[in-house]
Amino acid sequence: MTIVTGKAEARRRLQPGRSGALRKIWEHRADYGYVLPAIAVMLIVIAYPIYYTVELSFFKTPPGLQLRDKIFIGFDNYAAILTSEVFWKVTLNTLIWTIGSTFFSFVLGFAAALALHRDFVGRGVLRAILIIPWVISAVAASYIWKWIYHSDFGIIGAVLVGLGLADRPPNFIDNVSTVLPSLIVVNIWREFPFAMIMMMAGLQTVPDQLLRAAEVDGANAWQRFWHVTFPHLRNVSTVTILLLAVANFNSFIIPWIMTGGGPSNASHIWITHIYELAFGRQRWGVASAYSVLLFLMLMTLGYFYVRALAGNERKEGSA
Amino acid sequence: MSTLAETAPRGRTRRRMRIDGWRWSGRIFLVFMLLYTALPMIWMLSTSIKSGFAATQFPPQWWPDEPTLASYQKLLDPQNSVGQDFLRFFWNSLFVSTVTTILSVIVAVPAAYAFSRFRFPGRNFLFFTVLLRNMFPAVIFLVPLFILMRAIGLVNTHGSLVLTYLTFGLPLAIWLLKGFYDNIPVQLEQAARIDGATRFQAFILIVMPLSTPGIIATAIYSFIGAWNEYIYAYTFLSKNEQLTLPVGIQRFFSENTTDFPGLMAASFMMSVPVVVLFLVLQRYFVRALTEGAVKH
Repeated sequence: MTIVTGKAEARRRLQPGRSGALRKIWEHRADYGYVLPAIAVMLIVIAYPIYYTVELSFFKTPPGLQLRDKIFIGFDNYAAILTSEVFWKVTLNTLIWTIGSTFFSFVLGFAAALALHRDFVGRGVLRAILIIPWVISAVAASYIWKWIYHSDFGIIGAVLVGLGLADRPPNFIDNVSTVLPSLIVVNIWREFPFAMIMMMAGLQTVPDQLLRAAEVDGANAWQRFWHVTFPHLRNVSTVTILLLAVANFNSFIIPWIMTGGGPSNASHIWITHIYELAFGRQRWGVASAYSVLLFLMLMTLGYFYVRALAGNERKEGSA
Repeated sequence: MSTLAETAPRGRTRRRMRIDGWRWSGRIFLVFMLLYTALPMIWMLSTSIKSGFAATQFPPQWWPDEPTLASYQKLLDPQNSVGQDFLRFFWNSLFVSTVTTILSVIVAVPAAYAFSRFRFPGRNFLFFTVLLRNMFPAVIFLVPLFILMRAIGLVNTHGSLVLTYLTFGLPLAIWLLKGFYDNIPVQLEQAARIDGATRFQAFILIVMPLSTPGIIATAIYSFIGAWNEYIYAYTFLSKNEQLTLPVGIQRFFSENTTDFPGLMAASFMMSVPVVVLFLVLQRYFVRALTEGAVKH
């Protein structure tokens, strides 16, 4: 696997004594040409914004992006955030949103993958239909569900009234206590197919012989799942859950289009809140401080993310 | 299996019953998931072929008594001002997504190949830096990027979108393609090089054809990502004639939100290109997505 750069490798083997880091970099100089375009684009659009966000977070900024008039105020923006009530409200919402969406997307996706694992007539068609919500735009999904939840003409309300479960159609997304769960249902609708695809691929790697051996030894279906299938899927499960968690933590479109964070902040999550602070109320400094906090939290999550991916990488290297 | 059946027939029947129990609960679950997935989409279609009056009846009609294509005709009619806007948004989305897709593939292919084949110092660091990009939400980059785009004169151009879409599409594209290159045996290239091919020739003649499925998948992924993107387009573009579909539709319908059939028809037509693309090429797409995460 490692011996690919033929000439450089040969030269290094001829002179085993000289192997400094700089020398290594020089030997591999041609390799960097391949990744350079990707790295260059990423630098412009990542490194610069991160630097700029950190800088802005220490300033009081006038509205309208007249940033020459900004005033240095140290950690005041951070203090203002951490002492505000909205911050804790939004943080709680974000936790409920991220954990709820991730948990149910994963469980439903995994269960669907298990149910689709055995071949039956129409399996391919069914799988394709189940994946469609993941492909269509979140904007379209938001409008579809907004219409489904509509307080006068929504289909769910009409069904509830028709079954005699409600006197009049309930107002799902204009109600402080139901808005977040209602939006999570929409998010799961869009996200469970991703978990399903990942877990279906994972299931294909479980060796059939092991399952048959367990069956011969008298293990029932649940025991076979728990002791054979599930341990094999630990790696792909970790990656799937992490990817889902990151995506959910970062979601914006569904709450933004369906409610705009309302009513009274009940469906604001971090991202929508930051967006409103920056582009709605033009408080660039505070929004930047929020972004920096978000960044720090994500770096913590990112540590686990990279570790999970690196674990995969190592396995592949040894295989 | 047969010996088992002969020696323990009772055990076998009991086991089959138990397996059937699991199978049936699986089927019931799938029916439930099918309803959860499909009913909203059917409701979208059914609403889109109603008249404005029929859409606002209570109790609602599951399927309209008098289906009409009026909403679609309105959106697709270039003589109509609504149709003009919609077709322009559609064209803008198509343009931005296509350019993004082509550039993504051009940039991602060499990078993924290098990450898969070469062992240069800093390889892991660079690879994970690229992946980390996906961790961070658009919002963090939005304010500074907006200022940057304004400084280099790209605000209100499609160039600003292509540049940003490129960066958030690249990490996954590189990751997906790397998975494909990892599975192509190095020996094939080595054989070609022994026969006198340069590294570049070996890449073009041996590796590229074998990784075509991966490139197709990467392209679909970039296209769908760009087609559905909302937040950058929402922030960077303000001129009506440049909006892409997701933003355009929002601007459009926030003014007269009672036109539910029109909104559903527009949502449907916005979904058609990506769903068709996905259905036609889904085996590449699904395979590539899982290639990186699941090692065989």
